Amino acid sequence: MVLTGLWQPSAKADEPLFGFTYTTDTQPKGKFELEQWSTTRFTKGYGSFWLQDNLTEVSYGVTDRFQFSLQSDYASTSAFQNGPFRATTPPEPFSFDVPLPDARYARTRFISVSGEGIFRMLSPYTHPVGLALYFEPTFGPGFSEPEGRVILQKDFRDDRLVLGFNFTYAPEYRRLQPNTKCLCLSETDINFDSGVSYRFHRNWSAAFEFFNERELASLNFTNLINSAYYLGPTVHYANQNFFVTVTFAEQMPWATVHSNTLPGAIVNGYDFDNDFEKYRVRIKFGWNFGAEKR
Amino acid sequence: MRCRFTLLPIAALILPGGPAYGTVYLSIQQAQALLFPGATFQSETRTLSDDQVKAIEHASGVPVRNHQVKAWRVSTGGWFLVDEVVGKHEFIPFAVALDRDGAVKGIEILEYREAYGGQVREQPWLEQFYGKRPGAKLRLNKEVRNISGATLSCKHITDGISRLLATYEVVLAPNGH
Repeated sequence: MVLTGLWQPSAKADEPLFGFTYTTDTQPKGKFELEQWSTTRFTKGYGSFWLQDNLTEVSYGVTDRFQFSLQSDYASTSAFQNGPFRATTPPEPFSFDVPLPDARYARTRFISVSGEGIFRMLSPYTHPVGLALYFEPTFGPGFSEPEGRVILQKDFRDDRLVLGFNFTYAPEYRRLQPNTKCLCLSETDINFDSGVSYRFHRNWSAAFEFFNERELASLNFTNLINSAYYLGPTVHYANQNFFVTVTFAEQMPWATVHSNTLPGAIVNGYDFDNDFEKYRVRIKFGWNFGAEKR
Repeated sequence: MRCRFTLLPIAALILPGGPAYGTVYLSIQQAQALLFPGATFQSETRTLSDDQVKAIEHASGVPVRNHQVKAWRVSTGGWFLVDEVVGKHEFIPFAVALDRDGAVKGIEILEYREAYGGQVREQPWLEQFYGKRPGAKLRLNKEVRNISGATLSCKHITDGISRLLATYEVVLAPNGH
C-alpha cells in the first residue's frame, strides 16, 4: 500500500472478496500466496489524468491466526491541467514534483515497500463476529506511513453472505520540500470501508462496496482537509489455486469544503485534491503456492 | 481522458474459467460399496414438508438448504445418505452411513476442491463423528476439532452431519430401519 493513505492499495487478508474492504481470513500456517494488484484512477474535474498503481505482494501464514506480508509498490501517471484552477497537478505519490501549471506531466517510479501483519483475533466461522487487527508500516523515498486497521466481518447464510467493515488510521510523513531532511506529518488518513458480498454461484461472488476516505491535517481527528465517498460493484472468482477480483468505484458528489480544504479542490460536489479522482478500477490476481495437490 | 495502461500486469489479464482443479474421489456407487460392502440399496428419495424442515432445523440448529433428501435403504440394515455443504469455493458432497440404530458408521467425502483442508476426507478427522446419534452435540472446536486453513469446510461438514442425523430422526426413523 502504499503510499498514500487514502489510496490504500494495501494488501488484503488472504483471498479478497472486496477491492477495498478487507476481511479477516489469513493464510494457513506455513502457506504462501502471491498477489498482484493493479489500481487505475482516472478523471478529475478538468483536463486529463490517470494514475496506475501496481503492487506485488507475498504473504505467509506464520501461524493459523497471524499472516505476514511483504509488498512493493510502483506507479505510473499522466496529468495535464487536471488540478485546482486547471493547474497540472501530480497525484499524491508524485506530489514531490511541482510541474509548471500548464505543463504535461508523466512519470513512472518506485513508490514504497511495506511490511504487513494481520492478526485474526476472532474467526467469523466460529464466533458471532470476525475480528482482525492489521498493521502496515510503509517506507519509500521521502515518505513513510504507519497504517493501522481494525477489520470486522459478519457472515450469514452458510457464510455465502459476507459483511465487511474496516476502520483505518494512517498518518503520512513526507519530505515536502526538496532541500530538507524533515520527514514531517503531511496528513492523517482516516478511512471507513464497508462491503456486502454474496456467493451467487460456485466460485463466483458479487459485492458492493461503500467507503469514505478522509484526510486530516492533524493526528487527533481535527482539521479536516478532504472527505470523499465512493460506491461501486465487485466481482470475485476463486478456485483452489487462484483468484481474480475486479472492482469499480465512483466518487459520489457529496464533497464539501472543510476547514483545511485546498481552494479549488471541490468541483461540482466532487473532491479532486491530489489523492482523489472520480473513478477507480482495481484488479487483484492471487496465486496460492501452498494449495494442496491431490 | 487519454489513458494508456501500459503497465497493466499480465497476471491481471488472466481470465477466470481455467481448468477445474477439483478432485472427485468417489461416485455414489463406490461410496455405497465402501460403506456397506456386499449390500444392495433401495433408493428412497424424500421431499421434506415445511413441518419436517422446521423440525430438522430445530433439532440440528442448521438451516435446511435442499428439501430433497437423497436416501437409500440398505439391505443389511441401516441407511445411506448423500448431501452437500458449502465449501470456501465449491460445494462439498458427502455420504453418511447410518447403522440400523441411526448411529454414524461411516462417512466419505465424495469431492473436495478447496485449496486447503484435504484432511477432511481422511479417517482420523471423519472418525470423530462415528457412533454419533441423533441429538448428539457436534460443535467445531468443541466435540469436533478443526483443520488449519479449512475452518469453513470443517464447520459446514460438521453442520451437514448434524442435519443428516436430524433428518434421519424426523423423516427416516419413523418408517423403520
